[in-house]
Amino acid sequence: MNGTVVKNQLIFDFASGILGPAKSLFASTYLELNSDASKIGNIFENMLGENLMDNENIHPKNLKYTDCMNNKNIKSDSNLKDPVTSFFGNLNNLNWKQVYKGFKEYTASIDDKDELKLIKMDPGVSVPLHSHGGKEYILVLEGSFCDEYGKYSRGDIQINDQKIKHTPIASKDTGCVCMSITEKDVIFFGKFGSFLNLFTFIKSFFKQK
Amino acid sequence: MEKSNLNDLMKRIQKDRDEMAFSQIFDFFASKVNAYFIQNRIRLESAEELTQEVLSTVWVKSHLYDSSKSALSTWIFTIARNKKIDFLRKNSKINFKEEDIREFLYQDREIDLNEENEAKKQIERINNELDEQQKIMIKMNFFENKSHKKIADELEIPLGTVKSRIRHILTKMQEFLR
Repeated sequence: MNGTVVKNQLIFDFASGILGPAKSLFASTYLELNSDASKIGNIFENMLGENLMDNENIHPKNLKYTDCMNNKNIKSDSNLKDPVTSFFGNLNNLNWKQVYKGFKEYTASIDDKDELKLIKMDPGVSVPLHSHGGKEYILVLEGSFCDEYGKYSRGDIQINDQKIKHTPIASKDTGCVCMSITEKDVIFFGKFGSFLNLFTFIKSFFKQK
Repeated sequence: MEKSNLNDLMKRIQKDRDEMAFSQIFDFFASKVNAYFIQNRIRLESAEELTQEVLSTVWVKSHLYDSSKSALSTWIFTIARNKKIDFLRKNSKINFKEEDIREFLYQDREIDLNEENEAKKQIERINNELDEQQKIMIKMNFFENKSHKKIADELEIPLGTVKSRIRHILTKMQEFLR
């Protein structure tokens, strides 16, 4: 699958607000760190904002404008933090789990079908050759890593599916911290790969509705 | 309302905390934002609460809006969208033990990929067999990954009915796919 198409799909789905909580956090971080992705996101949001102008009107029954001026829940001084900090706080304070020497991970507790993890690799540490059960999205938060397909720095994403086998190595100078999304449901299709096409058919069919 | 008018109103809020300007912004956007939440299958009461939060944010954080960066409708849309994401995050209780229709559909079966066209025809046949509510249920369960409980809540029908109807649909689909 074309990487750009998948990336744009992720951005569009985020802009539309249809992603689950895990992917929403992932995508908002991506837009925060990557100015190109952010520009594309803005284009989508402008389109969606235009749609809102033309949206139908369903009047709230029990709401007056004065209710919105005296809402204590909204604070004007709440400082805007980036998505990672507002969700995880200081990354150094997380309860990282060591998987093997130089490779740690932290699984976010988000109630979602997709799993969101942070991965921390010490400088020069590599991940043994592996492939993926399901689709995996990786976003570099700090440092960089490289593999057979190229070098990935802060704000870059890599999207891997079952076909990809790779050996990522963290930068010798900086190591790297990444955010990853694993689509659990796709693992199912890894096992029952032959049904993928049937699934695609059914899906495209329902999309027409 | 014209965009330029909306921008003028917003400027009056930003500069003078003009309440009448805000009431006009409210009149224009509240019903559209409320409709947006309802279109996203959020229940009426919650939709109104979220609409209040969105418009409150417009009033309280008006200084964060920059008309040179985006249209007012875009800014308000992103606030509404983010509220929706937060709302769903706080309220999501996805239960993975809930039976997944794919497991059911594909249990002890193999399919030949060369039969793709045949599969497509079968799907059309299945479609003709389903009524609107069944289609909605399949869509919610299969493509939106909603639990049976959530479907029951949203369609306002008993959980047992959802379970039995989905099972019935799947049995039917399985027959067709054999």
